[in-house]
Amino acid sequence: MPDAGEPWPSDAELLRRHVAGDDGAFGELFRRHRDRLWAVALRTVCDQEEAADALQDAMVSAFRRAADFRGESAVTTWLHRIVVNASLDRLRRRAARPALSAGDEQAFEALVAQDGDPAHATDTRLDVDAALRILPPQQRAALVVVDMLGFSVAEAAVILDTSPGTVKSRCARARARLLPHVAHLRGNRSASESVSPAQGGDK
Amino acid sequence: MKGQLTHLDTDVLAEFRAGLITGRRGARIAAHLAGCDRCTAVSDELTGVSALLAAVPVPAMPDQVARQLDTVLAAAAAQRNDSERARGDSPRDRATSGRPAGNRGFRLVSLRVLAPAAAVVLAAAGYGLSQLAGGPASPAMSPAAAGAAAKSASRANVNAPALAPRAAASAGSERMGPVSFPFVISSTNFLPGTLKQQLEAALRGQAAAGTTQSAPASVRACVSKVAGSADPVLAESAYYRGQPATVIVVSTSKGDTAWIAGAGCSAGRLQPLATVTLPPGMGGP
Repeated sequence: MPDAGEPWPSDAELLRRHVAGDDGAFGELFRRHRDRLWAVALRTVCDQEEAADALQDAMVSAFRRAADFRGESAVTTWLHRIVVNASLDRLRRRAARPALSAGDEQAFEALVAQDGDPAHATDTRLDVDAALRILPPQQRAALVVVDMLGFSVAEAAVILDTSPGTVKSRCARARARLLPHVAHLRGNRSASESVSPAQGGDK
Repeated sequence: MKGQLTHLDTDVLAEFRAGLITGRRGARIAAHLAGCDRCTAVSDELTGVSALLAAVPVPAMPDQVARQLDTVLAAAAAQRNDSERARGDSPRDRATSGRPAGNRGFRLVSLRVLAPAAAVVLAAAGYGLSQLAGGPASPAMSPAAAGAAAKSASRANVNAPALAPRAAASAGSERMGPVSFPFVISSTNFLPGTLKQQLEAALRGQAAAGTTQSAPASVRACVSKVAGSADPVLAESAYYRGQPATVIVVSTSKGDTAWIAGAGCSAGRLQPLATVTLPPGMGGP
C-alpha cells in the first residue's frame, strides 16, 4: 500500500485510525509535523507563550473535528489551516498588545526612529523575526505559509481560507513591505535568484 | 516606448512577479523592466526576500511546549473514551450519537480490502499517547527477535474440534449465540515493522496446527463484539509492542478482515493502533 519512501502509515491513515478510536494515532500524526506546525504558530503570533496556547487550541480542535476531514486536501494542509485559524484568533483577542504585532508599521517606525536616524526609519535594518512583526497578521500568515514553509499558492489558499489570488496579493504586498528592512540580509545575488518559491505565483 | 513609464512601485513589482498583473498593463511592466536596471534590481531583491525567508530554518518545537501538548492530547483522548463509554459503543449507539455509521473502532479496517485479502488492525487497551508522542521508548524487539518469537510461539492444543479457517469461511453458517472459532495463545510480540510477516506466520501456523482450545469468555465476548455477524477465522492472544493484545481474523462477505484488540475489548473499549493489509490467500490453505 505505501509508496516507496513514503512513511507508513500515511497521514491520512493515521487520521482514519484516530477517528476510528485509536488512542495513539493522533499523537503520532502530530509528532510527525509538530515542528512545522509550531513554526507557523510562532511566526504568525510572534510570541512563544501565545503560540504554544494557540497550537494547543488548534490541536484539541483538530483532535475533535478529525471526523470532518474529507480528504479534500492533504492532512498537513488541514492541520496547518486549523493552526493558522487559532493563531489569528489569538491575535485578534490580544487587543491590548503594542502596535508592533498589530502590524502598525508607522508606529513601529516612529519607535525605531527615536533611537536611529529618523530620515532612515523606513530602511531600518531588522532581522527576519522583527521584520515579520511589522506586517499585518494576514499578510504575515500568507508569507509564512508560502515563502517560509513552502506551501503552494493553492495549498495556502486552503490554509488561509481564501482565494489563490488573495494569497498572491497578500504575499506580494508583504514582500514589498519587508524589502527595505531585510535587503541587507540577502545572500549573494546568484543564490537568491536560484530560489524563488513563489516566483510567478501560479503554483 | 521603453522608458516612458516612471519607475515602478515596489508593490506593483511584487504583484507583477506574483502573476497578478497581466494583459496590457503587464506587458508594459515587462517592457519597462527589460530596459530599466533600477527596477530590475528591485524586482530581483523581491525574489531575494522570498529566498531569504525560505532559508530561515524551521524552529524546533521547544520540549516544554511538546510535553504540554502531549498532556493535552492525552487528556482529550481520555475524555473521548469516557464519553463514548458513557454513551455505549455499539454501532447503533454511535450512529445515533452523530458519528458516521460504521465508522467506529472495529470498522477501522474500512480500507480497500480486496477479497480475500486479510487486513489487520492492532489495538492495545490503555496505550498511552505519551508513548507515541515522544515519551520514553517502550521496549521493542528487533525484527530478528520478533521473527524468532513468532516461530517459537507456543500453541496450546486441547481436544477441541479443528476448524480450518477457509472451511469456516465457506461454510457460511449462521451465528447464533456463542461463536466457535480457532483460538490459540502465543507469546508473539507483534510489531509495526514486522506485522505483515508475523501475521503471515500466525495464520500459516494455525492452518498447519489444526487444533485449538476453547477461548475464555472474555475473548469470546471480544470476538463477538468485533466480528458481529461475520465468521471468526482465528483468535490469538498475543502481544503488540509488549502489551497484551488479541488478534481476531474475521471473514465477511467482502473478504477477510482482522483486528487486534486489547484487554479492554470485551469491556467495550477497542483502541486500534495499526492496520496492515495482507496479500490474498493468507486466510488459510
